[in-house]
Amino acid sequence: MSRTLSEIAYVRSGDKGDTVTIGVIARTHADYSAVKRSVTPDRVRALFGDWVRGPVHVYEMDNIDSVVVYMEAALGGGATRTLRLDQTGKALGNAILRLSVEPGNE
Amino acid sequence: MKDIIRLGSGSGFWGDALDPAAESLRKGRLDYLCMDYLAELTMALLQRAKLKDPQAGYIPDLAEHMRVLMPLARASGTRIVCNGGGVNPRAAGERLRKLAVELGLTGLRIAVVEGDDMIDRIDGLLAAGEPLANMETESDAFSALRGAVVAANVYTDGSGIRDALADGADVVVTGRVSDNALYVGPIMHEFGWVHDEDHADRIGAAITAGHIVECASACTGGMSSRFDEMPRMGMVGFPIVEFSRDGSFVVTKPEDTGGMVDAFTVKEHLVYEIADPANYVMPDGIADFTSLRLEEIGPDRVRVSGVRGRGLPEKLKLVIGYQDGWIGEGLVLFPWPRAYERAVKARQTLTERFERLGLVADDLLFSFVGLDTLHGPAAKDTEIPDLNEIGLRVAAKTRSRSEADKIRRACTQLWIMGPGGSAFGTPTKPRPVVAVWPTLIDRAAVTQTVTVMEA
Repeated sequence: MSRTLSEIAYVRSGDKGDTVTIGVIARTHADYSAVKRSVTPDRVRALFGDWVRGPVHVYEMDNIDSVVVYMEAALGGGATRTLRLDQTGKALGNAILRLSVEPGNE
Repeated sequence: MKDIIRLGSGSGFWGDALDPAAESLRKGRLDYLCMDYLAELTMALLQRAKLKDPQAGYIPDLAEHMRVLMPLARASGTRIVCNGGGVNPRAAGERLRKLAVELGLTGLRIAVVEGDDMIDRIDGLLAAGEPLANMETESDAFSALRGAVVAANVYTDGSGIRDALADGADVVVTGRVSDNALYVGPIMHEFGWVHDEDHADRIGAAITAGHIVECASACTGGMSSRFDEMPRMGMVGFPIVEFSRDGSFVVTKPEDTGGMVDAFTVKEHLVYEIADPANYVMPDGIADFTSLRLEEIGPDRVRVSGVRGRGLPEKLKLVIGYQDGWIGEGLVLFPWPRAYERAVKARQTLTERFERLGLVADDLLFSFVGLDTLHGPAAKDTEIPDLNEIGLRVAAKTRSRSEADKIRRACTQLWIMGPGGSAFGTPTKPRPVVAVWPTLIDRAAVTQTVTVMEA
């Protein structure tokens, strides 16, 4: 049974215009390399399907064992015009915890 | 001359709680109380209020907040810096001056910082060769929406606040300064800093401090992934920054308050709503969040050091709000048994109704509340059990109010032509959409001014 990111990471998400940002924080320093392996632009794009229509960037923060996911054209037009109930993407970020943890050498 | 100044966060958004701000003034030994009230949408809402009443356009709650906070601040020797002036800081300042007189706060100096409101300067900017291209989509089709513009405010730096404090202000009221300028301005004033290369790292640190605490309880346990571990969140304390002259700082909160400050609550907000963490671009400079170090140095105390920064960006962000049609929405709930099947059939029925009513929509979204409203396609369909209840939500973006109202009507018609057992709340009225067009302009086009009023 593979683990999911929900077991090794915390998350906080929000918006800037039509962009959704997701901060993913490793629970322990030992988990950080697994977080980096597991959160890639391709995996993130596949997870969100047509809710994310623009490029996905992943920035690493080795100093605080975290990555920042930056998803463009991802909020249905931005907080004020999206049809989604989660207008500012606060709930959307938690979906990233559904990703399976990519196996690797710890 | 102080080597450490204490800045409290007093508000994270328009609607935030007042009692923690008052508690920080009573217990926090604050030099400054910094209050953020503004978001992208807020400016457009306030601009609409100002169109109806030239004396409106600032945060409606501002005077009631200051009725509580100004006397406490005078007693503790704390200066208040807030962006509650919205699109009418001058009217806000005049209101607060009258309030100070009413409260007997004789001699209180209220400074108004202006210069962010570009609504009357858009055509001038275009004529001067600013393309006003959308910085997200790179579209240069601004002229198509020129007639629909309702607000235009540029994110300004902390220099207006710094100058207001140098003029002896006890309360500073601004418009759309950047959120962290509410902190950078006082820090620059206290330590006599200017925006030059020599101060780039320390101003970068001030920007970082502002970023961590500007959403108030968001770094003391609010919104935390570990919320279940957070003590007494109903009595949460708002954060306090102890900022040192060398650019290091400690994030803490008043004693005997709810919530928590530890490395995780600080990390959680460091990663919030940012793009490249090595280049956090703000009007006062560019901070590198990947350079800093966090240390837990005591209960509810986290030290942040080593922030590197780069100087002023050449461009400032201008957010233009414009009218962009309407949204109509509806919600219907269905009970066990076979709740999901009823919701699916109701979706089919609504689709047929929209066809019969001739709905013209730019975009239409159905979602099942309890299944996929929040995560959309990421909430992969698994086997759905016989749920206790489920909701069907529908929303549509239309050009006109009357089209949007078809959503409400069709949902209401399900009362009888829909599945048995359907339950409704109050039908939702259509709402107007103010969309935002973010663009960049030359910072030389922006000049802040300070006006001091005395009670």
